[in-house]
Amino acid sequence: MTSTACFIIVSRNDIPIYEAEVGSAAKREDAAQLHQFVLHAALDIVQDLAWTTSAMFLKAIDRFNDLVVSVYVTAGHILYIYGTDLHVHNI
Amino acid sequence: MADPASTPLGKMLLEEITPVVMVLCTPYVEESCLKNGLSLIQLLSPFCDFTNIDVPVRTASDQPYRLRKFKLRLFYSSDIRQPNLEVAKERLKKVITHVGEKNFLESSDPSQVNNLLSRPESEMLPSWFQFFNKELVRTLSFSDHEAFDHPVACLLVVSSKDDEPVNRFVDLFNTNKLPSLLNDGAMDPKIMKHYLLLHDNQDGPFNKATKLLADMRNAFGQNDCQIICFNSSQDGKIHHQDNPWAPFKSDALPTENLGCFLNLDDLNEIKDFMQELSSKHIIPYMEQKIRVLNQQVSATRKGFRNQIKNLWWRKGKEDTIDTPNGPVYTFNSIESQIRILGDYAFMLGDYELALSNYRLISTDYKLDKAWKRYAGVQEMMGLTYFLLDQSRKDAEYCMENAFNTYLKLGSAGRRNATRCGLWWAEMLKTRDQLKEAATVYFRICGEDTLHSAVMLEQASFCYLLSKPPMLHKYGFHLVLSGDHYKKCDQIKHAIRTYRSAIPVYKGTTWSLIKDHVHFHIGQWYALLGMYDVAVTHMLEVLASTHQSKTTQELFLRDFLQIVQKTGKTFEVLKLQLPVINISSLKVIFEDQRTNASAAAASVKESLWRSLEEDMIPSSTARSNWLELQSKIIPRKYKESNICVAGEALKVDIEFKNPLQIRISVSSVSLMCELSANPEEDANSSNNEVQNNEDRTSTSSGDINSCLILSEVDFSLEGGETTVVQLTVTPRIEGILKIVGVKWKLSSAVVGLCNFEFNPVNKRVVRGRRKQHSPSSDLKFLVIKSLPRLEGFIHSLPEKPYAGDLRPLVLELSNQSKFPVKNLKMKISNPRFLYAGNQKELNADFPACLKKKMNVEKSGSHANVNKTLQNLFHFPEDISVQEETSLSWPLWFHAAVPGSIPLYISIYYEMEGVSSIMKYRTLRMHYNLQVLPSLDVSFQLSTRPSRSQEFLLRMDVVNKTSSECFQVHQLSSVGQQWEISLLQPVDSILPSQSLFAGQSLSCFFMLKDRRRSSTSEDSIPSLSHIQSDVRLGPQDNSEAFFDVSSSPLADFHDCERSSQGMSSQGCEYKVDFVFIAQLPKGNRDSSSNAPLVFSHHACDCSPSSMSPISWLVDGPRTIQHNFSAPLCEVNLKMTITNSSDAIASVHINTFDSPSSNNQPIDDATTSQPPEHQSGWSEIPIVNDTKIITTEALTTRVPKSLSLESVPQYIWSGTSSTKLVLQPRSTAEIPLQICVFTPGIYDLSNYVLNWILTPVNDGENQGEANKSSGVCKGYPYYLSVLESNFKD
Repeated sequence: MTSTACFIIVSRNDIPIYEAEVGSAAKREDAAQLHQFVLHAALDIVQDLAWTTSAMFLKAIDRFNDLVVSVYVTAGHILYIYGTDLHVHNI
Repeated sequence: MADPASTPLGKMLLEEITPVVMVLCTPYVEESCLKNGLSLIQLLSPFCDFTNIDVPVRTASDQPYRLRKFKLRLFYSSDIRQPNLEVAKERLKKVITHVGEKNFLESSDPSQVNNLLSRPESEMLPSWFQFFNKELVRTLSFSDHEAFDHPVACLLVVSSKDDEPVNRFVDLFNTNKLPSLLNDGAMDPKIMKHYLLLHDNQDGPFNKATKLLADMRNAFGQNDCQIICFNSSQDGKIHHQDNPWAPFKSDALPTENLGCFLNLDDLNEIKDFMQELSSKHIIPYMEQKIRVLNQQVSATRKGFRNQIKNLWWRKGKEDTIDTPNGPVYTFNSIESQIRILGDYAFMLGDYELALSNYRLISTDYKLDKAWKRYAGVQEMMGLTYFLLDQSRKDAEYCMENAFNTYLKLGSAGRRNATRCGLWWAEMLKTRDQLKEAATVYFRICGEDTLHSAVMLEQASFCYLLSKPPMLHKYGFHLVLSGDHYKKCDQIKHAIRTYRSAIPVYKGTTWSLIKDHVHFHIGQWYALLGMYDVAVTHMLEVLASTHQSKTTQELFLRDFLQIVQKTGKTFEVLKLQLPVINISSLKVIFEDQRTNASAAAASVKESLWRSLEEDMIPSSTARSNWLELQSKIIPRKYKESNICVAGEALKVDIEFKNPLQIRISVSSVSLMCELSANPEEDANSSNNEVQNNEDRTSTSSGDINSCLILSEVDFSLEGGETTVVQLTVTPRIEGILKIVGVKWKLSSAVVGLCNFEFNPVNKRVVRGRRKQHSPSSDLKFLVIKSLPRLEGFIHSLPEKPYAGDLRPLVLELSNQSKFPVKNLKMKISNPRFLYAGNQKELNADFPACLKKKMNVEKSGSHANVNKTLQNLFHFPEDISVQEETSLSWPLWFHAAVPGSIPLYISIYYEMEGVSSIMKYRTLRMHYNLQVLPSLDVSFQLSTRPSRSQEFLLRMDVVNKTSSECFQVHQLSSVGQQWEISLLQPVDSILPSQSLFAGQSLSCFFMLKDRRRSSTSEDSIPSLSHIQSDVRLGPQDNSEAFFDVSSSPLADFHDCERSSQGMSSQGCEYKVDFVFIAQLPKGNRDSSSNAPLVFSHHACDCSPSSMSPISWLVDGPRTIQHNFSAPLCEVNLKMTITNSSDAIASVHINTFDSPSSNNQPIDDATTSQPPEHQSGWSEIPIVNDTKIITTEALTTRVPKSLSLESVPQYIWSGTSSTKLVLQPRSTAEIPLQICVFTPGIYDLSNYVLNWILTPVNDGENQGEANKSSGVCKGYPYYLSVLESNFKD
């Protein structure tokens, strides 16, 4: 089963400082774009959630189609965002 | 919350879920109405909406209430059917396209997110959404599972012109023509009928109509018949101020005068009719129907018994019916009736009643698995809850339930789901749950891409309006929406949405997103043929370094295609391809300082300044900074740099290709402005501003142009960086300003880059650092053409071997029309290069270096001072005339290996050419790579017995890898020393050649001739000077190289000074010059002359380095009869002070080895600080190696210390102190006592000496004070037992 996932570290002020496309699916140009779009959009949710919970790991906070976004928020508000396929996520 | 009815959703519901009146009319009726430009329904519609009808209503309960708002919807019978799907879609598409066109032209994008949010909400949200939503909902009207679209009443209209109107009425309600809803049993065909006779006043008198009305009343009943007279205006020129029909006839032309035949009476009549129809007929009819149905429902379904029965009955039915849409319910089934009851109650505003009935029916439908009906009822329940404003949770639950149920139905329920979703989203929006509303909009998206696009756009606005605004989501959904629009060919919408998203992504570093947005906008604009805008967007993605190679290729290709389509060359400011590194900008210009080569220009200005310090006139170089320049240059131009007409300004700039693909850049040139000097040309009108725009095309050929600009073409591979040198040559005087640089990318786009925008990083090499506006660094005052010397050193070796000595020729050429004179030259490193005499120019090398027998030696050091100062004055009479050149000899000596920079500055003056510039300097810079060749080291040791003679050991190692040197001679400098070989060279080095890697050791004897001459009283004649030793073939008659004449002597002086020695040192310091040769043509194929190598070693002195020398003298062998208690031996120590200072010497003798050890150790530990104080001069490390014999001397006492018993003792004084005058000698008697025969080493004594300089005022007292410790050297004494018995 192919899967795609992407991982981005976002610093304060929403600046991506590290990006990686992982997964076994054949790399497609627009996949990376879409992932960036989805993860970027998820920042809104993170901003909402991060201040309401003491948990640092926010699982499945947002999704777009099959891509589920989870975030690890550090104390310095650096975000480790990753998006994975739905079926991967449920494992 | 406000009254639910006044919210957008409430208003929408009150408008959309209202009783429907079916209208049937004859063609004559329509004809009459069309005179006004309106159909019948359009004519009546404005009067169907009652905002304050105020009718008492009593439904199921006994408590009446008053109905305020009421609305009728009129439809022709032909329209009462489910709209054709395709037609509906087409209509929606038209709506969207129309809006797209309209908005596209109007759209003005806010560039900042803040601006976006600062606008009022109503402005932000496009108004056409609501219109679209309404249209979308309307496509679902007249479905059979809902009752609110079923006609409540039927309005039959016949014109008075019709024949037999009464019959026409009957004909109209012919079942064949009725909508299918009525015919197929979905609704009750027995509906309320109302008969209207329409009389057109233009057709005839009213009398006829009244008669007809009477007929009608007889036929259909008194109450149900009415008459309207209209078109009362005869001329049709009535103009209605606020046209009531406008909203109902959207396609009306503005010129069309709607209702032109209707006067005020007509309007009032129509209004009254509609009000009466509503309040007196329809509402009472609905009331009555509700009551009847309620009774029926109560009878059959209310109560415990009925419920049980119902359940039981449905359970039984379950197995039998299994159609996909659930069971079919006819209008008279109890389920349909409950639904009608609910809908009627809803329409009359009795929401409680409606809700209870919906609840009732909902369970039934669920049990029956009539999912569509179930969803429909759930939907209505949700809306009812909303209007009741009771339970939000219930409302939402019902809406969600309905939505999901519709979705479960698949494509059949899809559109219903859309409508349900729209209402649901509206509901959430009303309650400020915008985020949830957005989710709902997102879920509405279905197979219809166009509708999805609109929904996504609405979702995006929900995110924007939510508090706090969720801009990321807003952007994302706009982009999604844009994609959907694009799929439906709604390019204008797509562009609009994408452009709205730009502010969200502006300034972020989410590069893939930005690229995607800009690239697609660019593409789409290109599709629309708006290439200009397309190009601006494509420019944003051009320099996308993070993209893959293929994407970059795609971007560039598309960009170039679009540019091509525009059919013109674009000029783009800040084109990012290639990237210009502004901080790399380097302007090289020449004012009075000119450069011979680019290398010279890159040297730091401070270095040149220090070099030229004492050469250029002090008025500019040395005067205080306030006066600086003000004398020379008018105050006006002080801030500008100066350059000379006809001389090129060079600008180095770095271009970088950020992409992975190859790009070609052509026609790179500077943009410059040359304006006439405002000061000088104030009166003349031709204030010519030479703009560069038209210049580049003609720059190369046009001689008369005022500026000559160079053009460079190059191509850059992926990631490549290149530095390009661009030049501009002003041809006339004026003010030149370098504005920027321009280039052509792929010969399609012209990129411009102004140097102004980032002035902080700019670096102007020549420019004086100024504090004021940095732009003036790029501003130049062009002055009249001046002479400019070109300088070149011919055949300067790039990689000479160390020691290489050769003549060079400096050529100075003057291309101008004016002579220059008063030349001076300064060379940074005279050790390597200095100017020779003019007569040496054509001298034969190396023969000119050789000793000439008939030449006087005197005056050979004539230019010592000159070279030490590094400043060379060319003779007064030397000048460089116009268009000639001057050659001048230079001597070159590669003194030390390594990387050697050579700076040469030549100063010259020109007369009467310019008032601003009187002199110029020519700067030349060379970098030499001197390779190591021969490593020569000398070791000098004193002969202990004779202090005037020394043993010299010379070690020569050939460090090259391939060269074979011929050793030639060794000379000592000066007349003082006599040097001779201890053994012939032939025996050591038969070939006289030193091959690569080979080493040679030679021993020489060195004699201080001066000393020896005084002692031995022999007078040496000049002819017997033996200061040179031939190392080559002895039979060679070749003359020696003359080390005492120029240039060898000069170079030697340089060596001395650079090795940190003064000429007058202590007496026993010898300088050697070792000369070797490379056979002809061995290295430089260009010249056949043999290469001469000279190696200089300065200040070689005996290893002790001590100014104090001594000699212990006495018997070597003694015979003594040891029957006597002891044997006394008398010795004599001669101490010589060879320095110019007074020496106080302290001689310590030690008897026992144990006590001997102590002071030696002290001496060794305290020895290093010979110059103890920190402020004394630190000697510069010698280049030549003098092997020290320190190790040897320290070993001696250690071996002695092994002996445990002293064999002799020093007798007499154990410590002697004496003071020696400069250059004097003293004798001290010493005595030892020996107890047993043996051989004794009398070295256990130490000389401590302190030099105190003579106080003659020149020396600074203690500054030169030095001290030292010398250990005794071995003196062996043999004491023998004598056989005497005396």
